[in-house]
Amino acid sequence: MKHFLTLLALSVLSAVASAEDVLHIYNWSDYLPEETIATFEEQCGCRIVYDTFSSNEELMAKLAAGARGYDILVPTDYAVSAMAGRDMLLELDHARLPNMKNLKPEFLDRPFDPGNRFSVPYAVGVTLLGFNADKMRQHGIPTDTWAALFDPKHLAKIKGRVTVLDDQRELMGAALIYLGYSPNDTDPAHWGEARDVILKAKPYWAAFNASNYNVLLAAGDIWLVQGYSMDVYQAAADAEEAGAGVKIGYAIPKEGAYMAVDNLVIPKTAPEPELALRFIDFVLDGRQSAVLSNELGIGNPNMAATEFIDASVLEDPALFPQGDVLSRLSNIDELDARQRRAMNRLWTEIKVQ
Amino acid sequence: MTRAGSLQTEAVKRRLLVGLPTLVLLVLFAAPTLIMVLATFQFPDDFGGLAPAWYSDSDGVHLDLTLENYERFAGEAIYLKIFWRSLVYATLTTLFCAALAYPLAMFITRAPSRIRDLLVLLVILPFWSNFLIRVYAWMSILGPRSLFTEGLNGLLGWFGLGPVTLLFTPFAVIVGLVYVHLPFMVLPLYANLCRHDPAWLDAARDLGASPWKTFVGVTLPMSVPGLVAGSLLVFIPALGAFAVPDILGGAQGAMIGNLISDQFLSARDWPFGSTIAVALTLFVVFIAWLMTAVARRLPGGAAHAR
Repeated sequence: MKHFLTLLALSVLSAVASAEDVLHIYNWSDYLPEETIATFEEQCGCRIVYDTFSSNEELMAKLAAGARGYDILVPTDYAVSAMAGRDMLLELDHARLPNMKNLKPEFLDRPFDPGNRFSVPYAVGVTLLGFNADKMRQHGIPTDTWAALFDPKHLAKIKGRVTVLDDQRELMGAALIYLGYSPNDTDPAHWGEARDVILKAKPYWAAFNASNYNVLLAAGDIWLVQGYSMDVYQAAADAEEAGAGVKIGYAIPKEGAYMAVDNLVIPKTAPEPELALRFIDFVLDGRQSAVLSNELGIGNPNMAATEFIDASVLEDPALFPQGDVLSRLSNIDELDARQRRAMNRLWTEIKVQ
Repeated sequence: MTRAGSLQTEAVKRRLLVGLPTLVLLVLFAAPTLIMVLATFQFPDDFGGLAPAWYSDSDGVHLDLTLENYERFAGEAIYLKIFWRSLVYATLTTLFCAALAYPLAMFITRAPSRIRDLLVLLVILPFWSNFLIRVYAWMSILGPRSLFTEGLNGLLGWFGLGPVTLLFTPFAVIVGLVYVHLPFMVLPLYANLCRHDPAWLDAARDLGASPWKTFVGVTLPMSVPGLVAGSLLVFIPALGAFAVPDILGGAQGAMIGNLISDQFLSARDWPFGSTIAVALTLFVVFIAWLMTAVARRLPGGAAHAR
């Protein structure tokens, strides 16, 4: 009984303390370094509650279903325009974000949010190929082209050892690029061709996996994945740490790829919009932003961060694409409801065949 | 207090007792179902969610509803195909669960009474760890480099048979579904079997019936209500499963539940997702009715299925 009372008293106390300032962040998993959280909590005397989603669709579905109470969301480019279009986002007061000057100009004023009225770029990732270096060499599979993922000639040698993202835009986009079209092409005939390419390759794939392919890759169960740069980077680090002799490589296919810019936004329903603005300016600080790249291998739109980022990360062409490669990367454009329906029809066909 | 007064309070109590669950059912089941049915006639909104069911202009208020979702569902063979596959998977799951659960439930029934409760506890023990963790564990067990898979392939190699892949196949989906749903078959079967009067078995034996004949003629017919209850508890959730095929089925095992979750999470097409969900609900109601109707006609079922 005495213990129970103590517990009760403690929980009441902590409830009082947390009733002060709590910042609720809804973000991708492994997308905010512990160090950054601790530093901000100390600086603002508040507490950060971190909640995660695994796709933009999940984020939008939860919000559309009425999820409330978040101060910061981290949608990818096309999701920003979708949310801004629904009038869900708070307009950002740029005067309160002096650190915006740190951002590289090529990441500002993008088509999904002209003038950055609602969003601030936070992290950059590329959808690329991750692979087991020894197995690829052994079977003579080229790793710098989407052909590795779609051409049955290559796939026959690594049947059942390949995963692709369980994401219709990503997979259809990769197939469109492989066919020589823009990943944002909306011509139904081209979509049909992309579906055919996917259906021819599908018998060789083990799974549509967007959740733990990095684990399967690092363990040596899977040899080739379509994945996000930060996840594959993580897999490479995990495999090295495990010391079981699995060497993970990754490369952006020469035909081009999707680049995702993830952005910080404040929903209109945010309980603490003031604190959210402070947080955004805090992570735009060069030193804080650099932690993101150093700890998690995430590409960075922040100029001021460059001098604090480890050379090994900064010089990695898959994490920080430059010049020619950069020019072949494109954002995912938002589709309208009719196009989404048409694409989902193809996707169902792909999943069921 | 007068007699009439106490009767009245009894009546109030009874109404409260029945009224509360009814209210809960109305608010938490009937209302959402109605909303879902309405959604099947609506258009999807451009950014996800639902377009308004009506709009008003200078001419007044207009309904903005459509049958397009049902036309799309009925008009394409692909959706029936995925329904059929789910039906096959759920049926196989139910059959395997019954085959595994029946001997287990009989064993528990016949066990000494002091360990019987412990055995029942063991059946529900897996519920103590999270469902997803248990399914992910199967991913390790069936993975290509697991002890189980390598052992099996070694054994097959002895007979000159090629190595098999287990994970990311329909086989893995069925294994996962059977594993997850097995307790739901064991418990109602056990509850039924332990009510059987041992005198019936004695009577059968005294009249010269072999153990097999006793089983077929007495135990099995008497256990039909337990089998039907267990089958419904397994078949219905297995038909709508989406996490198990998602995790274990890989590229080949999508079921109707995956199609529904795709509409809400990827396509942002709530109306079509609702349409498939309504179709699934109607189908499940039909199956439940069919199974109880069949059970009533079976010998031994009539007395108990009521």
